[in-house]
Amino acid sequence: MPSQIARLLRLSLLVVLPLPLACRGGEPGTPSRRTLIDSRDTYDPRSLDPARSTDVPTGRAVSYVFEGLTRFTADARLEPALATRWDLAPDGLTYTFHLRAGVFFQDGTPLSARDVVHSFTRALDPATRGSGAVPLLPIRGAADFADGKAPSVSGLAAPDDSTVVITLAQPLATFPKLLAMPAASVLPASAPADVSDHPVGTGPWKLVTWKHDDYLLFARNEHYWGGAPEADSLRARIIAEPSTAVAEFESGNVDVVEIPPDETETWEHDPARKRLLTDVPALQLVYVAINTTRGPLRDPRVRQAINDAVDTRTIVQQLIHGRGRVAAGVIPPSLGGADTTRAPYAYDVARARQLLAAAGYPKGIDVELWTGTTPIMVRVAEALQGYLAAAGIRATIEQRDAATARAAARRGETDLFLKDWYADYPDAEDFLYPLLDSANMGPGGNVSFYHNPAFDRLLDQARREPDEAKRDLLYRQADSLAFADAPMLYLYFYTQLYAVQPWIEGFTPPVIFNGQRWTHARFRPPGR
Amino acid sequence: MLRYVARRLALAVPTLFGVLVVAFLLLNVAPGDPVTAMVGERADPATVARLRAELHLDDPLPLRFVRYVDQVAHGQLGRSFVTDRPITADIAERFPKTLELALAAMLLATVCGISLGVLSARHPGGWMDRLALGVAYLGISFPVYWVGLLLILVFAVGLRWLPPSGYGGLEYLILPALALGMRSIAFQARVTRSSMLDALGADFTRTARAKGAREWVVVLRHALRNALIPVITVVGLDFGSYLTGSILTETVFSWPGLGRYVVNAIARRDLPAIQGSVLFLSAVFVLVNLVTDLAYAKADPRIAY
Repeated sequence: MPSQIARLLRLSLLVVLPLPLACRGGEPGTPSRRTLIDSRDTYDPRSLDPARSTDVPTGRAVSYVFEGLTRFTADARLEPALATRWDLAPDGLTYTFHLRAGVFFQDGTPLSARDVVHSFTRALDPATRGSGAVPLLPIRGAADFADGKAPSVSGLAAPDDSTVVITLAQPLATFPKLLAMPAASVLPASAPADVSDHPVGTGPWKLVTWKHDDYLLFARNEHYWGGAPEADSLRARIIAEPSTAVAEFESGNVDVVEIPPDETETWEHDPARKRLLTDVPALQLVYVAINTTRGPLRDPRVRQAINDAVDTRTIVQQLIHGRGRVAAGVIPPSLGGADTTRAPYAYDVARARQLLAAAGYPKGIDVELWTGTTPIMVRVAEALQGYLAAAGIRATIEQRDAATARAAARRGETDLFLKDWYADYPDAEDFLYPLLDSANMGPGGNVSFYHNPAFDRLLDQARREPDEAKRDLLYRQADSLAFADAPMLYLYFYTQLYAVQPWIEGFTPPVIFNGQRWTHARFRPPGR
Repeated sequence: MLRYVARRLALAVPTLFGVLVVAFLLLNVAPGDPVTAMVGERADPATVARLRAELHLDDPLPLRFVRYVDQVAHGQLGRSFVTDRPITADIAERFPKTLELALAAMLLATVCGISLGVLSARHPGGWMDRLALGVAYLGISFPVYWVGLLLILVFAVGLRWLPPSGYGGLEYLILPALALGMRSIAFQARVTRSSMLDALGADFTRTARAKGAREWVVVLRHALRNALIPVITVVGLDFGSYLTGSILTETVFSWPGLGRYVVNAIARRDLPAIQGSVLFLSAVFVLVNLVTDLAYAKADPRIAY
C-alpha cells in the first residue's frame, strides 16, 4: 500500500539509525514465554473454514487445525496424513484411500470415511458459498454438483468406515498433491455450521481465540495422532508492515520473520544476525506475461526480442541483491521437470533489434507495461522500461492496484503484465498448466493467452502420466517448447530469506506455505 | 438546543443517503472484480460465473442499489464477500480500537498542543516560543509513517521501554497515539498561539489585569477561554479524521482498527465491507461535527442554538 514513498522514508531512517543503536540494550535473551509466535501473516485470514481457503494466511491457519488425506513436509515432499496409503486403479481414474486408524477430531469424535465424503461435498456445495474448492473439481461429478446440476458428487464413495474411493473425471497424476491443499481438509460430518468461528479438525493445534487483524492463538492438541506439539501454544500475529515485523523480531517478541527484499543485504552483512538466517528457494516465479494475441506481440520473434533485450542477471544482482535465480522456463529448479541446464535468454540488444526488424518493426514498437504497486515490482518495471527502450521497445508503465491490474490482464487488455506466481502445491504442473495451458486463458491464470496445441498435448499427456520420471520428461519438453515461443519475459525465481530466533529449535521455514505445522518447534533448553 | 440537535440529526439523513449513493456508484464503476479476490489467483471460469450469480453482481445496477438501500434501511450492512462475516460485527469489533487510539491521540494533542500554544503566546519571540515553533514545524513536516517507524526503533527496539506494535494495555497505546497525535499537537499549538495573542492583546484582558487579577487567572480564565473557538474547530476536524482513518498509524503499529479493515476491503474489492464502513464512518463524522458545534456554545455563551 504505502509503496515508493514508504521505501524512501524507510531508507531515510538509516540516517537516524545510530540513535537507537547507540542506546540498544544488547541482544534480547531467551524469552520466558511458552508461546511460539509467528509474524509472517501480513493480513487477517479470510476464514478458518477450509472451503474459503484461497490465500496464504488462511491456508496456513487452516493447516494448523485441519488436515487432509495427504500433506506436505517443510521441504515440499508429499506424505500421507489422514490416509496412510492409496492405490490407483489401472484406469488412472480411481483412487482408493485407506484411512489412518485411531484418529479423532478435536471434539472427540472418531474420523470415518463418511467425514471425508461429507467434507469434500460440503466444500463443493453451492450452499457453502465457498470459493476454494478448485482442488476438488477434478473429481467426477464435482463440477456439476458445484453448479447445482447434480444432487451429489458421483465420484465420491465411502464403502466402509476406513476407505474412501474417489473417481476422477479424467486421469490426473497430481491429484494426491491437490488433496494436500487446505481446501481439501477434513472436518467432522457433525461440525456446526459456523466452521470459521468453531473450527474442529484433526490437526495438531486447536483454535483458542482469534482477534481479527491482531492475532490467532492456538493451543496444542494433546490427543494429536502424530504426537502432541512440543510447545504449549502458538500465536500467529498479523503484522501488516514488514519493518514492524522486523522490529518485533529484533525485540525478541516473535520467533520467525521474513526479511523484506530491501533489507536482506543489511542482514547478510551483519555477522550477529547472519547466523539466524535461512534461505528458502520459494516456489515463486517473477515474470512478465506477454499477451500473445495483441498487435506485434503475436509474433514470437517480437517476444523473443523482449527477452533478449533485458539483462535479467543484473536485475537479480542489483534489485534483489542476488536473491533469485534467473529463469529459463517456468518450472522452479527445485521441482521435478526443471531443466537446470537450459540457458536463459542471453542479454543481446543487437539480436533483439535484428529480431524486431525481421518481424517487420525496424523502428521498434510501443507497448504498455502493467504492474501492481509492490515496491519491488515497481522498481523492476522501471528497470525493464530502460532495457526495452535500448532495443527500440518503447514501454509505458501502467501502475495500478493489484485488483485492477489483474482484472485487466484477465480480460486480455494488457500488453505486458509484470507479476509473480506462487505455487499452490509443489509440482511443475502448477506452473505449466495455469500459466500456459490454453484451457486456462484469462481467469485460469494464462494471461499470456498462450495457445499452442503441441504444448497442450504434451501437458495433457503429462497430467495423465502416473510414472513420475516419464511425467518429468513431458514437463521438461512442454516447458522447453513454451520457452522457445516466449509467451512471457522470463525473469527469476525468488529465494526468500527468513530469520529464526536462536532459542527456537525444530523449525524450518517451509518451501510451500502449508508445509510447516510447528509440531516439533520448541524453546531450546538453557545451556544448549 | 434539543430542537437544534434534532434538526441536525434529521439533516444527516440526506447527507448519509448522498454518501451511500456516491459510495455505491463509485465502487461499482471502479475497475477490479470482487470475485477475483475470492477465488484467488487460480480459478476456473465456471466458479467465477457461479459466484457472480450468487452475489447478484450481474444484476442491473439500479436493482442492486434498491436492494442495498432496503437492506441498510433495515439496519443491515450485509456480509463480507470475502470472509462471509457480518459487516456490523466486523465494525463492532474494530471501531472501539480505532476510537481508543483516536481519543488517546486527541488527549495527548490537546494537552500538549494547547499548553505549547499558551506558553509560546505568553512571550512571543522568546525561547519557549521558538522551541514550540520548531516542534510545530517538525510535527507538521514529518510524515506519520516515518515518525511511527522512528518511534518503534528508538523506544521499542533501542531503549526497550515499550512494545513495538500490537494491541493490549496502555503500553501498547503510547507510541501509536504519539505518532498519530503529532500533527495535531503542532496544529493546535499554532492555532492556540495566534488566537491567544489576539486575546492577550484585547481590551478585556487589559481590564482583567487592571482590576488586579492574578496572571494565571488572566491567561487561563480570561484569555484562553476566549481563544478557544478556533482551537475547538481544529480539535473537531482532527478528531473526525482520526476516527475515520488512521490507516498509516494502524498499519505501522499493527493496530487492529477500522482503518486497516477498510484498506484491506478496498484491496480485495469487498463491496459490502467498503460500503458499510464508508457509511458508518460518514455517520461518525457527521456526529463529531455536531458535537463540535455544540462545544462552541459551551465555550462561548454568545453562541446559542
